[in-house]
Amino acid sequence: MTRECSLLLPRVCAALADPRQPGSDDTCLEKLLDWFRSLTEFDPTVELVQDNPCLTEFIASVLALPEPSPSILSFTLRLAGILAASESRFHHLQQEKLLVRLFGTDGPLNSAVWEDASVRSGWVEGVHSMMHHQPALYFLCNGGGIDVIFALQGDPSLFVASAASRLLVHMLILSVESETTKPLSTQDCDWPACAQVIIKHIEDSLQSSSASHIEQSLKLLTNLFGSCRAPWTEVLWLGIAKQIESFLTEETVQARHMLANLLLNMARSPVFCDPEGSFWALVTSALEHLTPVQAGPLAVGILRLYKCPQDVRIQALTVLLQPMDCILRAASQPLEYAGLLDESVSDPAAVESLLSSKSSGASLLCQTLARLEELLSLIHLPVDLPYTSLLRSLMTILQFCNGFLNPASPLGSTISRILINCFRVQRSALDVLAALSERKGCDTLIESLFNVLLAYLESPNTSPTVLKKTFQATSKWLVRLHELSCSNSQWQQTEKILEDVFLVLQKRLCSPCWEVRDSSLEFLTVLIKCLRDQDEFRQSLLSSEVPRLTENLLEDPESYVRASAVTAVGHLAFITYFAPESPVAGNEYNKESTVAKLQEILSADPEGFPRRAVISIFTKWLRQGCTGQLEDTEQFVSRVIQTVEHDLDWEVRLGGLELVEVFCSQTICQLGLPKCSYAPVSSAAPSSTHQNESLQIFCRTKLFRFLFRSLCDCDKPVGQRACDILLGLRGNFYPISTLKDSQGTEESPAGQSIAWLQRTLRQGSLAQNFPIGAGNGVDFEDPESMMLALGTIDLEELHDELNKSSDHVEKSPQSLLQDILATVGTIEENEADCY
Amino acid sequence: LVCLCLGPGAGQDVGRSCILVSIAGKNVMLDCGMHMGYNDDRRFPDFSYITQNGRLTDFLDCVIISHFHLDHCGALPYFSEMVGYDGPIYMTHPTKAICPILLEDYRKITVDKKGETNFFTSQMIKDCMKKVVAVHLHQTVQVDEELEIKAYYAGHVLGAAMFQIKVGCESVVYTGDYNMTPDRHLGAAWIDKCRPDLLISESTYATTIRDSKRCRERDFLKKVHETVERGGKVLIPVFALGRAQELCILLETFWERMNLKAPIYFSTGLTEKANHYYKLFITWTNQKIRKTFVQRNMFEFKHIKAFDRAFADNPGPMVVFATPGMLHAGQSLQIFRKWAGNEKNMVIMPGYCVQGTVGHKILSGQRKLEMEGRQILEVKMQVEYMSFSAHADAKGIMQLIRQAEPRNVLLVHGEAKKMEFLKQKIEQEFHVSCYMPANGETTTIFTNPSIPVDISLGLLKRETAIGLLPDAKKPKLMHGTLIMKDNSFRLVSPEQALKELGLAEHQLRFTCRVHIQDLRKEHETVLRVYNHLKGVLKDYSVQHLPDGSITVESILIQATAHSEDQGTKVLLVSWTYQDEELGSFLTSLLKKGLPQGAS
Repeated sequence: MTRECSLLLPRVCAALADPRQPGSDDTCLEKLLDWFRSLTEFDPTVELVQDNPCLTEFIASVLALPEPSPSILSFTLRLAGILAASESRFHHLQQEKLLVRLFGTDGPLNSAVWEDASVRSGWVEGVHSMMHHQPALYFLCNGGGIDVIFALQGDPSLFVASAASRLLVHMLILSVESETTKPLSTQDCDWPACAQVIIKHIEDSLQSSSASHIEQSLKLLTNLFGSCRAPWTEVLWLGIAKQIESFLTEETVQARHMLANLLLNMARSPVFCDPEGSFWALVTSALEHLTPVQAGPLAVGILRLYKCPQDVRIQALTVLLQPMDCILRAASQPLEYAGLLDESVSDPAAVESLLSSKSSGASLLCQTLARLEELLSLIHLPVDLPYTSLLRSLMTILQFCNGFLNPASPLGSTISRILINCFRVQRSALDVLAALSERKGCDTLIESLFNVLLAYLESPNTSPTVLKKTFQATSKWLVRLHELSCSNSQWQQTEKILEDVFLVLQKRLCSPCWEVRDSSLEFLTVLIKCLRDQDEFRQSLLSSEVPRLTENLLEDPESYVRASAVTAVGHLAFITYFAPESPVAGNEYNKESTVAKLQEILSADPEGFPRRAVISIFTKWLRQGCTGQLEDTEQFVSRVIQTVEHDLDWEVRLGGLELVEVFCSQTICQLGLPKCSYAPVSSAAPSSTHQNESLQIFCRTKLFRFLFRSLCDCDKPVGQRACDILLGLRGNFYPISTLKDSQGTEESPAGQSIAWLQRTLRQGSLAQNFPIGAGNGVDFEDPESMMLALGTIDLEELHDELNKSSDHVEKSPQSLLQDILATVGTIEENEADCY
Repeated sequence: LVCLCLGPGAGQDVGRSCILVSIAGKNVMLDCGMHMGYNDDRRFPDFSYITQNGRLTDFLDCVIISHFHLDHCGALPYFSEMVGYDGPIYMTHPTKAICPILLEDYRKITVDKKGETNFFTSQMIKDCMKKVVAVHLHQTVQVDEELEIKAYYAGHVLGAAMFQIKVGCESVVYTGDYNMTPDRHLGAAWIDKCRPDLLISESTYATTIRDSKRCRERDFLKKVHETVERGGKVLIPVFALGRAQELCILLETFWERMNLKAPIYFSTGLTEKANHYYKLFITWTNQKIRKTFVQRNMFEFKHIKAFDRAFADNPGPMVVFATPGMLHAGQSLQIFRKWAGNEKNMVIMPGYCVQGTVGHKILSGQRKLEMEGRQILEVKMQVEYMSFSAHADAKGIMQLIRQAEPRNVLLVHGEAKKMEFLKQKIEQEFHVSCYMPANGETTTIFTNPSIPVDISLGLLKRETAIGLLPDAKKPKLMHGTLIMKDNSFRLVSPEQALKELGLAEHQLRFTCRVHIQDLRKEHETVLRVYNHLKGVLKDYSVQHLPDGSITVESILIQATAHSEDQGTKVLLVSWTYQDEELGSFLTSLLKKGLPQGAS
């Protein structure tokens, strides 16, 4: 603790304990606790409380209040807990009898304030904080506190209840691990006292007839197995396994839905993963007995496990695929398709009846689909998925949803009636479809798949969110289609599909709904990114109306759409003007006019997104060498800098700096400096002619003025970036050893102006202000002055200053203490006034 | 009906609204706010409490956002793009238009000032907004077949709405923030007598009867005017939208009336966009603005011009609106630094500032601020705090309850002590239950839903054939079999039910043994019983069967001699459920014994 803080602390404590003062802002108290946590974390000594007696005095005075406010009492409980986390401070507080008065039976827990959830929460958190040593454990167990925690597991406040559950887990682990002298085993199971109380409580609750007690214990066990992987957990488990097992078979138990999480946490623990162990039989039984909805999370969790018996995996997969199998069977004529599964784990009738019910059908499908997507996101699948059948069932679902499939079977027609126009299912199915594109083995269906996708893209009933997902799936499958046509040379099919896609895209680009226009443009950009090297793609695209419509959208009334149009046009340029052998002839695509349009947006668009999009496209062009010869590029960059310099949006200015950085590195590279990066040149000085040339180019493009002014930008990231670039440039122009001393340079007029610049920057970067209009003769376009500036201005110092986030002051404990003190005495109503 | 308020900490804490309602099996999240006072996880609600099993998209049926303030929508992109909620989101058209501006504003400040990277990006804000379904006032929106929502005007800020959520005959109204008195640019909240099962109301100003907003406005204008007159500069740090526009109208009309010349600037180019929206959504503003709109658009300001950074150094008086509103970064802070040293100048803070910001410090009276690099900034300029926030006060809350006539009231968004007072008042005046749960506490409310049951035509015809014609005033008791399937109820005849379900009928017979003292032979006893019954039950068909048993309708009587006592005969009586009344009458009759004369 700094001296300033220790001077402020007594006054703050006095203010907080004063009931006449209005309650402090909750966030201040939270931050104060954060500070104490950081102070005590690595310092177990008693000094903190000894050197700052105001802390114990504070606790005592809050305890002495006849009616403490719940927020201050809660704060005090948590503070005391944090302080008592080390044994020495615990004893110190014990000597003053503070802990017993706070956490004991005569404390708040038997007073009226206990009604307030924040006090109960403070009590639990306080106990949790101190629970790091045996004395705390004894203090609580012997003082009857543990019964309070048991009761709090059923607290009306979810926050308190779950904190109590976590606390019990923490205490159980602490007790076993700090008090056991020899390893525990089933034969010789001598639990330490505190652990025994908790375990007894778990066992009793599991056997009770109260559903909430069973749930509490299951939650506790789930927490325990999730956070502790010690061998003793198995001993504990063996004592309760029978009971848990009975929950699976007894229909009446309401807490069954919690078993999936419990078993999953256990399955992840090395203690239970022995393939020969009885645990896996229980998992298998759970897969059989839980409802399809309950078993889903367990199944997908099992498939993600690194270690697991293969037959359990297959069973889990079967559970996951069962609804998809059911869909496939419902849609097909008998014997048409084999279905997905050879056999099922649980009763297929259960899945059928769930799927054919209006209330559960869609949600079961959504959950199944979400799990399949999760599964497909894994790089290595531990089991083989029947991709073709899976794809077929996905297509079936999508066709049910848009009414394109009316199956004859009664089950099929029921399901299709339930699913029609169900956006939730559509979205989930399209997500899985997109994920499936990366798996090989379902290529035979690709043509009919595109029929389904195109139907969605064309249909006016497709909602914007579904359309977006359809675009995502389509782009992924188009890439797949291209890979396929490369191998089987079926170009005609590809061309036809592309033609259809662009036809529908044309229509979507004119949608009255901005979300649709935006998604369409994003789709186009993704396609160009992935397929721009493919001839048939380029030809289909350029022979459609899509490019013209895209350019039109540069004037869209919605700024998001304008920004997406800028990005799309920027990417289109790669296949129109910038492509080595552009397939289009004539003046249809005029590069100059497009660049001029984007320039116009950069300088005049009233909103940030389109301007940000332009600057990032320009940078992309520059990176890919599309801006022409060095001279053209120089002019281009110079124009851009002059436009973005005054932009009100700091992200545009930051984008401008990125462009400058790319330009500098390219110029230096092209002119043959030894290193392309900004790594300082240590020994041999670079050839001075090249150096001069690049310096002159930089001066001509006016980038130094932009860079130096940006150092004083009112938005920090801009200043930091500018400083980085300047440091890089200096590294290129000055070998470290030759850096000039700023003294003695003021003799020449240039030297004087640079000295002024240095002074200005030092103040300006702090005040985030560069004097406007004033230049004091600094010639930012004079190579000599700039060379001098780079050499003399202490950029490292500026760099350090800029990187000190202003939070350094705001977040400091001293500032916090001052703020709390300053609020004292002012009765504020502004707290309630939320912006 | 279950309601849960989520938010960090366990207490009634102002800021960051997020309420979960479960109504008739549907789960709806109301608002998804953030707390600007924190810059770690605590700023967002802890969504893990919503469901421990499964994905949020599967659990929640929809999310509803009441208005664009960040304490109501600030966590939305985090929730939809980072936590992964992928379901529908509803808000009004103006909220959908304005919300991303504020989110973007806040994102930029957060990323700029604090250099945070673990925060939502612009792309995420856009993706989130693309999932939003915009609704009109009083439009009934069908979320799915059972769940419907409807928006009502709430005043407070442009586009703010109260929402009615309805499933079957159960309903909840969530007010969000609202205002029952019209102000300079917005009207008063209004709702019809929808009699919801529960009204969830904010109670920010639960006990306050607020002084008139007019007073505060006059005060504001006076202070600005005085400062400008003495040649000082006025800085008003604001968030991009909302309060800023209100104050602009105020100053614009004042400048016009007083013929003032000092320039008013609005920074960061946001005026145009903001005013664009106010123009676009003119129907959402108050009547006066709508009326005068034809002659003159209130939002086309003559005196308010776009600000350029160079203007801050100009000599002479001026008024500048600059973002952000808490003086913690960017342009407002830059201007503050320039002007703070001059006692002629003034800064007016029109909103809440979180601890740690320069705004918070100067409002709490600190005059020597430590800035970067240990520089001390001495604040000599005047500092004023002015609250213009538009929430309903106690009177307004009572007024709304009177309008909507809810069966239960739940107060949120207020301090416990103040809420307790209001709760008592509500319970006394309206005789309804009032709840005020702490964050994290669930409130369960029992409703009496009337559940519609379809009745089969056959059954109906049969019932009318045997009984009287239907009469609306006299409820009629009907017998049938209730079939519950697919969330619907049907009453059909037992025969039809058996047929539909493919079940066979079981006969349930009641049996009873009656002991009779009679020394005669068994068949003689039977004859006596037969004669007795025939005499008593004249309207029924009583038969004596050849096997020696007697039947009365479905009732069967057999007699046997007692195994130990030949003088006692045991009558075994059995009857079906349909003849239960007759059966019990008969047994009680037989228990009385046989008349002497019967033979």
